Amino acid sequence: MLQTLQDLASFVFNVDLLRQYGWRLLEGLRITALVVCTSVTIGFVLAYFVCRARMSKNVVLSSAAAFYSTFFRGTPLLCLLYLVYYGAGELRPVLSQIGIWWFFRDAYYCCIFIFSINTSAYQSEILRGALAAVPKGQIEAAASLGLSRYRIDRHIVWPQAFLLALRPLGNELVSMIKASALAAIVTLLDLFGQTRFIFARTFDFSVYLYAALIYLVIVEIIRRLWAVMERGLSRHVLASAKS
Amino acid sequence: MDWFGLLFGPNGWSRLLLEGLAVTVGLALATIPFGFGFGLLLAILKLSKRRVVRGLCEAYTTFFRGIPDILALFIVYFGLNALLDRIWVALQFEGHLEMNIFVAGVIALSTVVAAYSSEVWVAALKSVAEGQREAAFALGLDRRKTFVFVTWPQLIRVALPGLGNIWMVLLKDTSLVSTLGLVDLLRAAHEANKNTGRPIFFFTVAALIYFAFSILSSVVQARLEKRANRGFA
Amino acid sequence: MGRTILFALSLIGLTSAFGTASAKEWTTVRFGMDASYAPFESVDSSGNIVGFEVDYAKVLCAKMKLTCTFQNQDWDGIMPSLLADKFDVIFSSMNITPARKEKVLFSDMYYATPIVFAGQASNKSDDVSPEALKGKVIGTQSSTIHANYLDKFYKDSDIKLYPTQDEPNLDLANGRLDYVMGDGLVEEDFIEKKGNGCCRVIAEIKRVPEIHGPGVGAAFRPSDTDLRDMFNKAIAEADADGSYAKIEAQYFKKDIRGK
Repeated sequence: MLQTLQDLASFVFNVDLLRQYGWRLLEGLRITALVVCTSVTIGFVLAYFVCRARMSKNVVLSSAAAFYSTFFRGTPLLCLLYLVYYGAGELRPVLSQIGIWWFFRDAYYCCIFIFSINTSAYQSEILRGALAAVPKGQIEAAASLGLSRYRIDRHIVWPQAFLLALRPLGNELVSMIKASALAAIVTLLDLFGQTRFIFARTFDFSVYLYAALIYLVIVEIIRRLWAVMERGLSRHVLASAKS
Repeated sequence: MDWFGLLFGPNGWSRLLLEGLAVTVGLALATIPFGFGFGLLLAILKLSKRRVVRGLCEAYTTFFRGIPDILALFIVYFGLNALLDRIWVALQFEGHLEMNIFVAGVIALSTVVAAYSSEVWVAALKSVAEGQREAAFALGLDRRKTFVFVTWPQLIRVALPGLGNIWMVLLKDTSLVSTLGLVDLLRAAHEANKNTGRPIFFFTVAALIYFAFSILSSVVQARLEKRANRGFA
Repeated sequence: MGRTILFALSLIGLTSAFGTASAKEWTTVRFGMDASYAPFESVDSSGNIVGFEVDYAKVLCAKMKLTCTFQNQDWDGIMPSLLADKFDVIFSSMNITPARKEKVLFSDMYYATPIVFAGQASNKSDDVSPEALKGKVIGTQSSTIHANYLDKFYKDSDIKLYPTQDEPNLDLANGRLDYVMGDGLVEEDFIEKKGNGCCRVIAEIKRVPEIHGPGVGAAFRPSDTDLRDMFNKAIAEADADGSYAKIEAQYFKKDIRGK
């Protein structure tokens, strides 16, 4: 019985493996962080424009934006990744002519490209929901005070919308961290890629558990950070709620 | 672009793609009872009075919501296999335990879906006022009748939007089992690509099929929500 | 609650008292293959696994009077799957290396092919030394002898690993990779059938025994020595009566039997 328990313990954890391959996991983590930060930032910028397009009065623009966000939220990211990665290879002659083959040649850029588009679709919906949730009365009051459209947006709507969007955006960041693992499928050696590499060498199951642990720690850090940010930015709301 | 030939010609890939689609839909549908059901069970346990029970369920949820879905699939697929096999051998049964890859996929997906859906169920359970159950008892309804006629309709009404979102995630996550070797729609498209060198065609077809299903799901969800909301202001 | 647990434990204890290990009577053998390795094994448009190793396996099964089934399994997970009893034998061009022998049992070698670098057709140089390939992008399949070889000797090159051998070949064709390392016959098959003149086989490299082993064999679980012996016998019989040579001739112009 004790032997079985010991077997189970050593089955689950293996310290030698960490000593030999630990550096690979850290290197993978660096790549993951790079991919996530770049994609989320570009995605946010894209999301702003998509959101504006969606709320515009121009029917063509708003339907295009609606299709964009529905399509990229409704298809699996892995499918889109394969489409971009291998599709670019098929289009190589055309891309070379335009002079952007160097971009799609690299797996890293392919990943950033499609991850940014994917997260921008989700973020644009979050922003749209947040903008819609700002009380209409505020906009009307500001307008009656003679504030221009720009000033209303900049000083009244967006600050409140951003606060409302904070929690969902944090969830989206966590989502992106998890989705970034797909980059490993197209040869990128991010955290998940290094994990598969180590497993291919050692066939030791515990490497997957170490990777899981690292992801959990990262996600927990993000959640705590976000809670602090939320508290800090909504101090005025909490204060007035108390009084 | 030889669309027709690629799909329906003598070496046409439409059959493999359709088989892949069947696997994808089959996986998603098979996961509903196990994933959402187990999620409901987890939610009920999370509201338990015993701290150990609550703690274990919270740990399970935190784990499977905090790691990439593809990593969760790998862990469940390889780990569960190895673990069950060891248990089988330790119990000294004949031969080895064999797990059909489709079943393994369903179990892996259910594990993740249960973790996500338990959060939705908890919120829904909390929203059904305790007073309702007490009133039902006072009226003489037993536990089963209370659940079926009083708790469940209110529960499902609150839970449906959240569960609908998780269903969408599930549809897309089925594509991850393609990395485990199960031939779902995405894997079929990938095989077709490897053999014909036409990735844009096949992956676009796959993407459009997934898109069609997600739109279909939205429509069905809207209908279900309307039905669940009847009788409410 | 406590009584239920006690009851369950005693039940387990009882069953373990009855378990006996008996020699297995083999009637069906499940083959595991990574069917992305034409011409040895690949998937046709109906989803069937076809190829040299499939035909050869069927011949061996006939000799052993067993029923054979074939499963497609991704290369990365093929050894863990064998050990977890998803199938009974790996028959997928798996080279017999010292590292693998520690985990699985191998049959006798049944073919040995050259290991090559494939490259762009526009690449006129035949030099494939580590110095010449410094900074170049080389692709191959992960968990293979090729990956291990590149990792050991080509540290200055940019090595990309893919889940199957098809994918680096595709990326070589579209120019993402400068070189691909792989089995000579697999590369030739790809260049001939799907290359469209993109690529050529550049040079062969010498097998390093610790990394490459002598050739390819069938892999079994360490406890299945009886199955392995049956296979060895069948392999010898197929050599003797010419059935191996017949299948070989259908697929290849050169002799790959090796010894």
